[in-house]
Amino acid sequence: MDKSTIGFCGYPDPYIINKLKVQYPDACWVDLDVELSFVPDYKILPQVYCKIIKNIVNNAVYYKDKLITIIMATGREKCDSAALASVILKNMGFNIIETKYENIETIKKEPIISTSSLPLVEKIQLITKEIIEPIDKTKLNRVNPRFGFWGVPPNDLSILNLFPDDTHVYGWTRCVEMGVPACYETEIMVDENVPTVFYSQAFCAKASLAKYLSFKYNGLYVDIDDIATNSIVAKIEAFINLR
Amino acid sequence: MKKMFFVDAGTTWSKLVVLNDNKEFYNEYKNYFVKSSDIKSYYILPSKLIKQMNISFDYTTGHMAKLKNKNHNNHYNEIIALANGVKKKIENEKEAIILDLGSRDSKWIRFTNGKFCDLDWNVSCGSSTGATIEMLLKFYDLKSYDIKYQNEKYNFTCGIFAFEKIMDDISHGLTPNDAISRLIHGIAYNSFCFANKPQKIYLSGGFCNFNAYLTSLKKYCEVETLGRFLLCEGLINIQNP
Repeated sequence: MDKSTIGFCGYPDPYIINKLKVQYPDACWVDLDVELSFVPDYKILPQVYCKIIKNIVNNAVYYKDKLITIIMATGREKCDSAALASVILKNMGFNIIETKYENIETIKKEPIISTSSLPLVEKIQLITKEIIEPIDKTKLNRVNPRFGFWGVPPNDLSILNLFPDDTHVYGWTRCVEMGVPACYETEIMVDENVPTVFYSQAFCAKASLAKYLSFKYNGLYVDIDDIATNSIVAKIEAFINLR
Repeated sequence: MKKMFFVDAGTTWSKLVVLNDNKEFYNEYKNYFVKSSDIKSYYILPSKLIKQMNISFDYTTGHMAKLKNKNHNNHYNEIIALANGVKKKIENEKEAIILDLGSRDSKWIRFTNGKFCDLDWNVSCGSSTGATIEMLLKFYDLKSYDIKYQNEKYNFTCGIFAFEKIMDDISHGLTPNDAISRLIHGIAYNSFCFANKPQKIYLSGGFCNFNAYLTSLKKYCEVETLGRFLLCEGLINIQNP
């Protein structure tokens, strides 16, 4: 089988990404964090577990024959669960490159996409896309925030359609755009007068920050496992409608 | 004056307010008529009947209603309807917690100085609510007025565990009335905890008419009942702010 794909998860070290891009200029890059509807659950990880980490392992198994390598973020910029998924995948025979990108001294980039007028789902997709390829941001307009979305890219992206376009992105996703995915200080910074939904993927350690910050800034804390329930959707709808 | 329909279609019961009702509608559904006030007529009907009615509603809330809406843009989620229904009532309160206890779920919203502040909506763990009580009353051939307040309560986190306690106690000689009353006291305590143990609860929904529940809840906090039509009133306020 022709190996033509490089899998990645989280925010791997850009230096290693660039090296691989030079080494494999024609490779197709796949974000293994993202749920793909055609990929089955191989039931390698526990049923009750972080959906994002389950996506990484399931997607890796699905693409196994095509994968040149998987470049995995396993440091403070990702999580312990990703580090353990890396251990499992290595043990299963995958070619894994682990990176830790914990440098918080880097000059932070402007969060142009996070504060733009794009629909929220496009903002988040563009930010994750930029991990691998440069994005032209010259035509993006900044808007003042009416709402905020704090957190990691959710497994169920459809919830992002509930937000108006003048929603700013905060939390880890904004840290990614700013080039400092391991900077907790930046991660907890929000505009305190902007009504914000603090999102946590279920079984993620960042739930502690989401809950704490929602209380501190009078926002809405939501925790979603796989697909958002009607109750969660209604909560977000109500928060946006009533605030 | 144009006739308009505002419906809150819950799992088992639907609350309907008709503006500018006419005899034609009343005559057909008078068995479900509750009261009238000014230009409003109030009805409570089984939701399965709502599904069969050959009427498109103007403003709707509740998951059973969306398909019956004339214009899907006029379908509102229940928290939005609840908040709009209560806004005027609590605008001068420093803090107000409104709890809506339904057939299979519970939800609360908090206003501070008349401004919406926080909310929660509990579907799965709040499932031991109205429908459970209705099923138990039917099973033991009891009416809600047969159930008197009991100081004892069942502590339970899940409706299945509550059923187990009821069956166990009845098999050991407790009357079904007393067992159901202990369950209701447990539900009251759970709803008080769910609403974050406030000093006062504004209560909406079918439990407003259930004395055993109200007496139980009043053991923990002050209670003001707002009746069963609050969400419909919210829809009317949305239509005519």
